[in-house]
Amino acid sequence: MPIVKLRQVTYHYPLTPTPALQDIDLDIEEGEFVAIIGPNGAGKSTLCYTLAGFIPHFYKGELHGTVEVDGDNAQHSNLSDWVMKVGLVFQNPFNQISGAKYTVFEEVAFGLENLGVPRAEIIRRVEEVLERIGIADLADRSPYSLSGGQQQRVALASILVMQPKVLVLDEPTSQMDPIGTREVFGAIRKMAEQGITVVMAEHKVEWIAQFADRVIALWEGKILLEGTPHQVLTDERLCEKGFGVSRYTTTARLAIPRSLWKKERPLPVTLEEAVAGFSDSLQTHRQEGRA
Amino acid sequence: MHERLSFYVKRESLLHQLNPLTKLTLIFGLLLPAFLIPFYWAPHLLLVLVVFPLAILGKVQREYFTATARLILPVAGFLFVMQALFLPGGRTILAKVWFLTLTQESLMLAFANAMRIMVMVSSFTLFMLSTHPSELMSDLTQRGLPGQFAYVIIATLQIIPQMQAKANTIIAAQRSRGLDTESSFIGRIRALVPLVGPLVFGSLVEVEERAIAIEARGFTSRRPKTSLHEINDRPLDKGIRWFLLIVMLASLLSRIWFS
Repeated sequence: MPIVKLRQVTYHYPLTPTPALQDIDLDIEEGEFVAIIGPNGAGKSTLCYTLAGFIPHFYKGELHGTVEVDGDNAQHSNLSDWVMKVGLVFQNPFNQISGAKYTVFEEVAFGLENLGVPRAEIIRRVEEVLERIGIADLADRSPYSLSGGQQQRVALASILVMQPKVLVLDEPTSQMDPIGTREVFGAIRKMAEQGITVVMAEHKVEWIAQFADRVIALWEGKILLEGTPHQVLTDERLCEKGFGVSRYTTTARLAIPRSLWKKERPLPVTLEEAVAGFSDSLQTHRQEGRA
Repeated sequence: MHERLSFYVKRESLLHQLNPLTKLTLIFGLLLPAFLIPFYWAPHLLLVLVVFPLAILGKVQREYFTATARLILPVAGFLFVMQALFLPGGRTILAKVWFLTLTQESLMLAFANAMRIMVMVSSFTLFMLSTHPSELMSDLTQRGLPGQFAYVIIATLQIIPQMQAKANTIIAAQRSRGLDTESSFIGRIRALVPLVGPLVFGSLVEVEERAIAIEARGFTSRRPKTSLHEINDRPLDKGIRWFLLIVMLASLLSRIWFS
């Protein structure tokens, strides 16, 4: 029984002739980690907003088809109930700070206060989530005084503390430097290991290859490819369209005609696979040289 | 710069322990008598016998007297000089220089008015020194103030340093393109347009994301909100508020009675 069920979802932003999403069918199982890739304007963010209920409750426009999470239909629920099922973290960490709170602890507690959770439970849950994300040492700092990576982890904690069934991340590291990216992905990986259902739109293919159970490639509002990271990320069609290809895959693809990568070997998507493959070819070359 | 977004100083004191609403009432419990009681020495006595001891009780005397010296005294002093020289109706002439006349009556009235201003600004200062804005807002929200209203107040207080930082970035960016911000007065006025434009429009764009962010945290939920901070409202607080209410009424009545 999938936790997220999208059936024939088509969505137009107000006053736009072309749909941002077209005939999307998608099932996501509980505990699954799904990555969404695609060039800018392919509908990644729109899909995230649809899952998180901001379409159709915040952005107007025309939504057709059904969006179901945990058996409830998004169109028939109101947004403040929906955010307890699906949590959303988006790109800009700075704009996700509520602005109503003076410390990280209070900031993370903000959502629970709004939902009317009793005080003792708020404290217990906030402490637990800060520990889990690894930002307990920031609890008394002002959220505005933090680095981008720290702010984004605070944003992540602020959503996780509400214990949503599904966590939707819209390019959570796109405005981060390598250190911030590592911090945020480290936190997301922990979540995934603890069995939270995660849907993440992301450009950084090498990270996706390490994390995701499944990759969905969007192109002009439609699902272009779907499958395991390996199947999708090494597919010829991504190469043609020019997105979602890791530099390791590209390198190996270029190496095949020069017989530096064995044709029968699957293309690599991570550094480890590339190293293994290239050292294999190198060894074969050496043996041939000796013979 | 980011850490200091309010006047609040964290101390353990009797004043800090009071409920925010009690302290809010206290402002008016000082202000109304200072302005209304028709007894000449009322504001002076209030300042010396109530405001100063309160500052010491709140353990914020150092901050309070610094603020007084820097902010309140110059204003009150200016007011005093102007009123002393120009308030009409004095008969006992003390000194006369050219067209300026100093009378005993105007001098005394000016002094009392300066003291009233002192009491007013002091009580607000003491309130801000001893009350954290978020504490005040949680308390008022629990008493039925709409959450949206409290949000606007706190977010505005927090946004000012952010706007300053952003304005500085825009200034640097425009100057690197050759915008003249250091020439004549007219030149500076002209330079305002390319500075204010990006600041205002950029902020408007951010509003949408901010709205999504707080929606995602259940801000519009219709459930009754709870608060992380427990704000105590002791019987002592209620007692003080009743007492202050009586003081306010009494000063109002004394004004009506004796004039």
